Amino acid sequence: MATKTQDPVIGDGSLHVGDRVVYPNQGICRITGVEIKQIAGQNWEVVTLSREEDGATVMVPKAKVMGIGLRKVADVAAIDRVFDELANPNTDPQLDWKVRHRENADRMTGGGLFGTVEVLKGLHALSRVRPLPPKERELYDNARHLLVGEIAAAMNIPLHVAEDNLDYALWPPEGMTRKGRPLPPATLGPPSPARASGLDDDLGFEDDELGGAAEAAPAAAPAAAEDAEDADEEEEKPAPAPAAKKAAPEKEKPKPAHRPQAGSAKKAKPSHAPARKAAPARPAAKKPAAKHTARKAAPAKRPAAKVKGKAKGKR
Amino acid sequence: MIRIVTLSEFPPDVVDFVSRRLHAAYGMGSELEGEGEIPSSALDDEQSAYDAVKALEEMDDDVALYADDKILYLTSEPLTAPEGPMGRGPVDGYAQYGAGKAIATSHGLADKGVPLEVGLAKRAAHYVGHLWDLHHCYDPRCAMHPGWSPGFAAYPEVALCLFCREKSERKIKLGST
Repeated sequence: MATKTQDPVIGDGSLHVGDRVVYPNQGICRITGVEIKQIAGQNWEVVTLSREEDGATVMVPKAKVMGIGLRKVADVAAIDRVFDELANPNTDPQLDWKVRHRENADRMTGGGLFGTVEVLKGLHALSRVRPLPPKERELYDNARHLLVGEIAAAMNIPLHVAEDNLDYALWPPEGMTRKGRPLPPATLGPPSPARASGLDDDLGFEDDELGGAAEAAPAAAPAAAEDAEDADEEEEKPAPAPAAKKAAPEKEKPKPAHRPQAGSAKKAKPSHAPARKAAPARPAAKKPAAKHTARKAAPAKRPAAKVKGKAKGKR
Repeated sequence: MIRIVTLSEFPPDVVDFVSRRLHAAYGMGSELEGEGEIPSSALDDEQSAYDAVKALEEMDDDVALYADDKILYLTSEPLTAPEGPMGRGPVDGYAQYGAGKAIATSHGLADKGVPLEVGLAKRAAHYVGHLWDLHHCYDPRCAMHPGWSPGFAAYPEVALCLFCREKSERKIKLGST
């Protein structure tokens, strides 16, 4: 049972029915009203919000509106400062994964505009040093999604224009300036994890190219990231078999300069099929051997834990 | 189904290549639907390029769309987009995020030293990706990497990275229900 109240005071009084607000981790919502809902025999005054992206209804107890970080959409001046911050290239990525995880989680649940910018910028800087593990890749995408939505809502521009502008700041094209200051043009980042860690099939590369990629991999990973390594090994799951791979037998050669892709569909199948079958046995056979050569005094437990971790990731 | 409409003349093998690459990237049917014209009202103030946002909004076509169909317009004309907080930057297409229409241009591919069919297919895959809410990707080999980055010419493969592919698959599954 629900009843609607007229002209209610929401939060500290700055929010009104019909306002566009930002719900932390959810994106842009519109306040549709305040209702009294009977839940478990108790009357609760809840603020109802409609998420603009998909029309989903979100209900927040009125007393908690300010506590959860609900806030109005940023104004144009704040967005301008966001772009100043994004265009400022000096960001050192946090290499300690525990600190990074805690800080990013706090910023995202806080729901602040600049917190989201910091998450995006920090992960972007990290991605320039080494590839992001899957969870952080998702966080990077979420932060980007929230930021693009808010920029578009604040400036009243299409989402696509908002995202392009965001990336004009993060990956400046030739000749891009910010307030008269030329931005250094984007450079090519390090190679992707997929090639280095044997997940080549996600982009359809052939096996014979792995040699070069594997050589390039250690150079891509900085020595300073030792702390993150253990965590990332657990976080990074092996690539599942690509669904789109079966599609489209490709006959024509695209003639790329140094990486012929054509024929990958045909050639990759025989080469990947046995690899996939042997997959469960591979970590067990390979990992302990690698550990053994690297650290002779390693405890016997360690390889077993690694194997377990890998198997867990596969599921 | 991804329905391709050409707004300029392209050799049939180029359109065929784009169609195949889209099919391979998204695992979805892709076919040439026909030809069309960019509305002249979409020309920008200097009459030098077409406003991509206006062009998509004002496009008059008879393409029949079903639940999860997407339309991709291909043109060789230069495109522009509304000015944003960073000013004007390179525009090689436009997509209505999470909606049904996208446009990609082959303009400027020769300057990048990328073959027409490969460059156009990569741009097409990029803008179709936006139709499924994919954002830009930091992986220079992924089709969702920004088109102005050096990665565009350095990695001419038309493919999505693991993250983008999984996300698109989820979105496509949701859309088809």
